[in-house]
Amino acid sequence: MDYFIHLLILICIYTILAQGFNLPFGAGRLFNLAHVAVYSVGAYTTALLSTELGVGFWGCIATSILLAATASILIGGISLKLSGDYFAIGTIAFASVVSALEINWKSLTKGVLGIPGIPRPDIGTIDFYQNINFLALAFVFMVLCQICFYIFFNNSIGRSLKAQAEYIPGAEALGKSTKNIKFFSFIAGSTAASIAGSLYAYYINYIDPSSFSLTEMIFVLTIAVVGRPGSFWGVTISTIFLILLPEPLRFIDIPPSILGPMRQLLYALILFFVVYWKKDVIFPVERRI
Amino acid sequence: MNTEDNKKLPILSVQSLHFSIGGTSILNGIECRIFEGETVGVIGPNGSGKTTFFNCLSGFCMPDAGEILFKGTKITDMPPHKRARLGIGRVFQNFGVFKEMTVIENVIVAIESREALWRSFFPWGTQNKRNRSEAYDFLEKVGLHEKAEEKTSSLSGGQMRLLEIIRALAFGADLFLLDEPTAGVSPKMKDDVAKLIRLLQEEDKTIMVIEHDLNFIEGFCERIMVIDVGRIVLDGEPDKVRRDPLLQKIYFGKDANEKTL
Ligand SMILES: Nc1ncnc2c1ncn2[C@@H]1O[C@H](COP(=O)(O)OP(=O)(O)OP(=O)(O)O)[C@@H](O)[C@H]1O
Ligand SMILES: [Mg+2]
Repeated sequence: MDYFIHLLILICIYTILAQGFNLPFGAGRLFNLAHVAVYSVGAYTTALLSTELGVGFWGCIATSILLAATASILIGGISLKLSGDYFAIGTIAFASVVSALEINWKSLTKGVLGIPGIPRPDIGTIDFYQNINFLALAFVFMVLCQICFYIFFNNSIGRSLKAQAEYIPGAEALGKSTKNIKFFSFIAGSTAASIAGSLYAYYINYIDPSSFSLTEMIFVLTIAVVGRPGSFWGVTISTIFLILLPEPLRFIDIPPSILGPMRQLLYALILFFVVYWKKDVIFPVERRI
Repeated sequence: MNTEDNKKLPILSVQSLHFSIGGTSILNGIECRIFEGETVGVIGPNGSGKTTFFNCLSGFCMPDAGEILFKGTKITDMPPHKRARLGIGRVFQNFGVFKEMTVIENVIVAIESREALWRSFFPWGTQNKRNRSEAYDFLEKVGLHEKAEEKTSSLSGGQMRLLEIIRALAFGADLFLLDEPTAGVSPKMKDDVAKLIRLLQEEDKTIMVIEHDLNFIEGFCERIMVIDVGRIVLDGEPDKVRRDPLLQKIYFGKDANEKTL
């Protein structure tokens, strides 16, 4: 039962994370490879504030969002000046700066040793060390984020975002400030990532840089690609599917040291095949004025 | 050149517009004034700078020198979306419709641009229903209402042109910059495009239309400008322009095979 609850909590956290990636990537064709880096900013902020300064749940969440939003304004401000592939490269550069800081700024982050002993949230008298209670909390956040993203995908913002993704001059000719639209989707996605990061730190009680590596980025990318980029429900379902997919491996008799790499291999293969068969959906042809 | 029409105010006035890319100059001092409600045909050989001229007007190219006034506002350095909001509607030579969206969404996107963001913030709000039915009405005008829910990529070239023009009308443009609206359009659909242009005229819109087919635009243009090597070399009534020996020289002097004239 506890195992089941564990999976549900992961599904909640990853739905928030993946949907935050899906808005700019799927609807806006912004290949933000710094998404997991922003997720890590949320996780580290929460971990440090709650262990070092004893800041409460709401304080941690708010500060995480604020810092992640600041980070995304920084990345966005620089990278959104670049277009297409160059944007992706700009965000990779940012992601490696963040990960270098997390590994090497030892006095703050304890480097690869990570930060242990992160307490569970303290809201009222509820005991969040009970996983079922934590699940309720994660579920509430997941639903709130899903509602927000459902709105963004289906209202004028989402349509403008899809319009600029297809043809920037076409969107500009209809009075859309494509720069602001891109920025908005980027900040909304980063806010979600930071919330997911906070919840992750609170849940696992321990974070280290390996939780936010390129592998993690590939996992998020796989979720979005399998769910069909830009599809709200598709990505929701593919999150559930891809989190549950490798679980049967646990019950086969293989050593844990092979289990991890096998999972990575599985996701990489899925990503490869989906991209191979559906590349025209994911990377559309560019047009000139 | 435009002294005949002094009573009306120019909606657009362009002064010594220069533009170059990587040292090659493409526009060499374009001067013109366009008056409200006018329909102006723009012709010229391939590569003479017609599209670039439109790009400078709508903001996709920033001129090296010169000044553009639209409705009395200096727009020379304005980004494209701000010019669009002032009322410049651009229809692209190589299709500006969003092919991944449905036909009606293309129009809804345009309608939403006119109003404040919060009005259509909630997908389940009533404003969205209103916009949708308004978009449907616009589609009816060009006979695309039956295709409203279809993906735009399933339309023919001509239908995409109609959609793009009606979308600019739904957006509320006052000056229409149509870049070869009949290129890649079947002869039958050409009539539909002409009909739509007449509809814009009935709504007192100002229209500039780039075309290669002089016979086609003569039907509805009261004025024709000829661009050659980045300069307006002829500007006047269609009859006068057609008879001008310079026109023959520009087209037939360079390319005796140009049959569209
Ligand atoms: N991005 C660009 N880079 C380099 N040269 C360009 C660019 N855009 C246009 N040109 C050049 O500028 C000149 C004018 O181009 P433009 O597209 O304005 O011509 P046009 O009159 O619209 O021609 P057409 O009738 O073929 O559409 C051409 O010689 C073209 O090669
Ligand atoms: Mg052209």
